[in-house]
Amino acid sequence: MIRTLRILAANPLSLLGLVLVCLITLAAIFAPWIAPFPTHNGAVVDFLNNNRAPSTRNWMGTDLVGRDIFSRILFAYQISLTLGVVVLAIAVPIGTMIGLLAGYIGGWLEMILMRIVDVFLSIPPLVLAIAMMGVLEPTLTNAMLAVTAMWWPWYARLVYSIARGEREEGYVLAAEVIGAGAGHIAFREILPNCLPAIITKMTLDMGFVIIIASSLSFLGLGVQPPTADLGSMVAEGARYLPDSWWLTVFPGLAILIAVFGFNLLGDGLRDVLGVDE
Amino acid sequence: MSGIFRLLLNRLGISLIVLVGVSMLIFAIARIIPGDPARIALGPNANAEQIANLRAEMHLDAPLTLQYGHFVADVLRGDLGTSLYTNRPVTQDIAQFLPATLELVFLAGLIMVAVGLPLGILAARHRGRWPDNLVRVIALLTVSAPGFVWAVILMLLFAFYLPLFPIAGRISDVYEIERTTGFLIIDTLLVGNWAAFGSAVHHLILPAIALSLSGIGQAARLTRANMVETYDKPYIEMAQAFGFFPSRIARSYAFKPSLIPSLTIIGLDFAAMLGNAFLVEAVFAWPGLSRYGVAVILRKDLNAIMGTVLIIAITFLIVNIIVDLLIAFLNPRIRYSTRGSS
Amino acid sequence: MSLLHIKDLHLGFKTLTGQADVLHGIDLDIAEGEKVALVGESGSGKSVTARIVLGLLQETRTARITGKVQFDGQDINAMSARNRAALRGTEMSMIFQDPTSSLNPMFTIGNQFTEVLRRRDPKLSKSASHTRATALLDEVAIPDPDRVLGAYPFQMSGGMNQRVMIAMALANKPKLLLADEPGTALDVSVQAQTLTMMRDMVTQNGTSVLFISHNLGVVREFADRVYVIYRGKIVEDGPTDALFSNPQHAYTRALMSAVPRITGVGLPEVPEFSDDFLAPRVRHGEASS
Repeated sequence: MIRTLRILAANPLSLLGLVLVCLITLAAIFAPWIAPFPTHNGAVVDFLNNNRAPSTRNWMGTDLVGRDIFSRILFAYQISLTLGVVVLAIAVPIGTMIGLLAGYIGGWLEMILMRIVDVFLSIPPLVLAIAMMGVLEPTLTNAMLAVTAMWWPWYARLVYSIARGEREEGYVLAAEVIGAGAGHIAFREILPNCLPAIITKMTLDMGFVIIIASSLSFLGLGVQPPTADLGSMVAEGARYLPDSWWLTVFPGLAILIAVFGFNLLGDGLRDVLGVDE
Repeated sequence: MSGIFRLLLNRLGISLIVLVGVSMLIFAIARIIPGDPARIALGPNANAEQIANLRAEMHLDAPLTLQYGHFVADVLRGDLGTSLYTNRPVTQDIAQFLPATLELVFLAGLIMVAVGLPLGILAARHRGRWPDNLVRVIALLTVSAPGFVWAVILMLLFAFYLPLFPIAGRISDVYEIERTTGFLIIDTLLVGNWAAFGSAVHHLILPAIALSLSGIGQAARLTRANMVETYDKPYIEMAQAFGFFPSRIARSYAFKPSLIPSLTIIGLDFAAMLGNAFLVEAVFAWPGLSRYGVAVILRKDLNAIMGTVLIIAITFLIVNIIVDLLIAFLNPRIRYSTRGSS
Repeated sequence: MSLLHIKDLHLGFKTLTGQADVLHGIDLDIAEGEKVALVGESGSGKSVTARIVLGLLQETRTARITGKVQFDGQDINAMSARNRAALRGTEMSMIFQDPTSSLNPMFTIGNQFTEVLRRRDPKLSKSASHTRATALLDEVAIPDPDRVLGAYPFQMSGGMNQRVMIAMALANKPKLLLADEPGTALDVSVQAQTLTMMRDMVTQNGTSVLFISHNLGVVREFADRVYVIYRGKIVEDGPTDALFSNPQHAYTRALMSAVPRITGVGLPEVPEFSDDFLAPRVRHGEASS
C-alpha cells in the first residue's frame, strides 16, 4: 500500500491526480465550514447581489438569485462524490459477484448471465439512465438507482473476462485437485487476481459517475433545485451566455477538474498495478 | 469470403437475442413507473372514462406477459404507438428527428477517428518521451468533461468571443430545403444548393467537435495501448532486423494489427456518442432526437420514451455489426478462417 | 581480416536504481564464410550480442554500449542510426526463434517478400519480385511457391514458415546471417531438417553466420567454431571439434554433461552456479583475431 503510493507519487501527473482528488474530497467534506456563504446551498435569495461577475466578495460570481457560485460548487461536490461512492459501493459488489459466477462456474449460468450483461451494454449508458429517470421521479436517490443499474454490467464483464482466464490457470486447477470448494476458489484464489483491475476501474469510474450524474441533472433529470448540483448549474447558466459566463464556466470547470483528478490518479494506478487497458 | 458471411450470420443471431433482451429491459423500465401510467400520461385533469380508454389501449389490464406480447407484436408491425406529446405516431417523430442526430454523430465519429488515431500512433511511436506524455494529458483532459461542458466552452470561445461559427441550429433560416432524406448535408446536395450545403456544414462543425472530444481521448489512449503492445511482437523485431523504415514499421507492422482491438472500442464510443448527443444537442439547440427525447421524458410520454430507446439500441447494434464486419475484413485471420467466428 | 570483429564489448541497462550490466567485455571474431556459434543459457547475454551487431539495441535509450563492433571494416557503434539501418536486410539479416509469430499476420508471404527484396532493389516491380521469390522458395524446397506466396503465415505449418524465413533472410545475399535459436519453437525433426538446409545454403553462398543457441547438440552439427558465454563473458572458445573433444572450462563441461542426447530438447539443466564457472577464459588452438 505505502509502496504503491510512493511509486505513484514519483510520477508528477499521478501526484497531481492524487492531490486534486484529496483537495476535492476535503473541500466536499468540509464544505459547510470552508464555504464563504454556507447557507447558499439551499433556497436563499439575495437579489441585491444577483448575477454579479467574479469579485473579491464572490470569487466565482453570483447566480441569478444572488447565491455565491463558489460556495455552491463546494456543496455540489458533496452531492457528486456521495453519488459516486454510493453507486460504486452497490454496483461493484453486484457486478463482481455476477462476473465471478459466470466466469468461474461457466456452463448455462455463464450463458444466461453474460447475455443479460450484453443487453445492458448494448444501450448507451447515458441513454439507459435517461430512460430510467424518464419514468422515475427526479430525485438524488432515483438518480443513484438509475446510474447503479447501468453500471454493474461493466464490472460483471471485467471480472468475467479475468475469471474466465484464471479458470484455466495452474493454481486454480491445483486448488481443485486438492479439493478446495468452489466458494474458496472463487473468492480466495480468483478474486484477488481481479482486484488490481477493479480498483483501477473504480478510480476511473468515480470520474465517469460524476460525468453521468451531472449529465442527468443537466437535462433536468437528476438532483432538483434548489440543491446545488454542477450539472443543473451549467444548464441554468447556459441560457445567459455569453454575458453571464461565470454561471456556466465555473461549474463546468469544476466538473472538469474533479474528473481529471480521478482520471490522472486512475491512470497512474493502472501503470503501478500493471492493469491492461 | 465464407468466413465473413458466417460471421455476419453469427453476429445477426447474437444481435437478435440481445434485441429481444433489450425489448424486455425497455418494457421493464416502462413498468417500474410508480402509479398508473395512463393517469400519469393524461395528467391530473383526466376523467375516469378517458383513463379507462387509455388503459385498454395500452393493454394495462392484461397480465404482464400478455402486455409484453402486445408490445412486441406492435414493434414488429413497425408500430411504436402514438406519442402523447405530439399526438403523432412515434415512428413518424423519430423519422423526423433521428437524421439530425445521426448526422451529428457520424461527423463526430469521423473527427474522433481522424484525430484520435494519429494522436495514439504519435504517442506509441515516441512512448516514454514527451509526445507520449503530452498525448496522455490531452487524452485524459478530453475524457474528463461531459459533452455539455465542452459544448459550452467551445460555444463561448468560437461562437461568441471569436464568431467563427453559428451559435445554434442546423442551417441558416434563409434556406428552404426540401427534406428528402432528412440529412441536410445530403438534401442540400440533392437540390444542388451549394450555399445551403456550406451553411449546413458550418452549423455542424462546432457541435460535432464538442461531441467528438471525449471520443478522441478514448481513441488516442486505446490506439497507443494496443500499438505499444504490438511493438513487443516478434514480427516487429523481424521488420527492424530487415531494416524497414520506422515510419513504415509504425504504419504497416504496428498500427494495422493494433487497429483491430481499437475498432471494437471505437464502436462502443460511437454508441456512447448517441447518448452524449443528448447533451450537445441541448446546448446548440440542435433539432435532433435529444430535444424530442428530453421533451417526452419530462412529460412521461411512455410510448415515445420506449420507442426512442429502442431505436437508439438498434442503431447501436447495427454500428456494432458493421464494426465486426470491418474487423473481419481487416483481419485475414478471420477472413480466411473456415470456422466463421474469431 | 575477419568480417565481424567484436572487441571488449560492454553492455549495461540504465535502471531506476542504477545500471544493470549484461555484457562484461565480449571478444568475438567471424571470418568470411565462417559459421560461428555462441552458446549459453538464457540470460547469458547471447541474444543481446546479436542485437548489438544488428544495431537494434543502439536505438534503445536505456542501453549503454561500449567497445568495438566492426562489421566489414565499419564500426557499427560509431555509425549513425540511418547507416546502421541501411546495413540491415541487405548486408546482414536475422532468423528468429519462432517463424510463425515473426512473420506479420496481416500480410501475405508474397507481400512480405516484396518488401524484403526491395531493401536491396527499391524499384523492384511486383511481378519481378514474384519471380524472384518463387525462385528463392524453390531453393528452400517449398513445393508450391505460388500458393505459399499468396498465403498468410497462420495458414501454414511452422516448418514451412521456417523455410520462408530462411529464404527471406538469404534473399538479398547478406554477408552475415544472425540466427537466434532458429526453429526452437518447432518439432525436433523439423528443426533438424531446416537447419541442415540452412547450413547447406550458407555454405554454398559463402555467408558468414553467427548462430546463437543453448543447444550444444545442434551447435556441433552446424558450427565451424564455438564460443561459450556465461554471465556476459566468453569462458571458452575454439574449433568445434577441439572444443567438443576436449572441453577445458568447468562451465563448458557442465553444459556438455547436461546434454544427454545429440538432439537434446529443451534447456540443459546446468547447476545454478559454481566458483569454477568464473575461471579465466580458455582458448583452443591458435587464438583468432
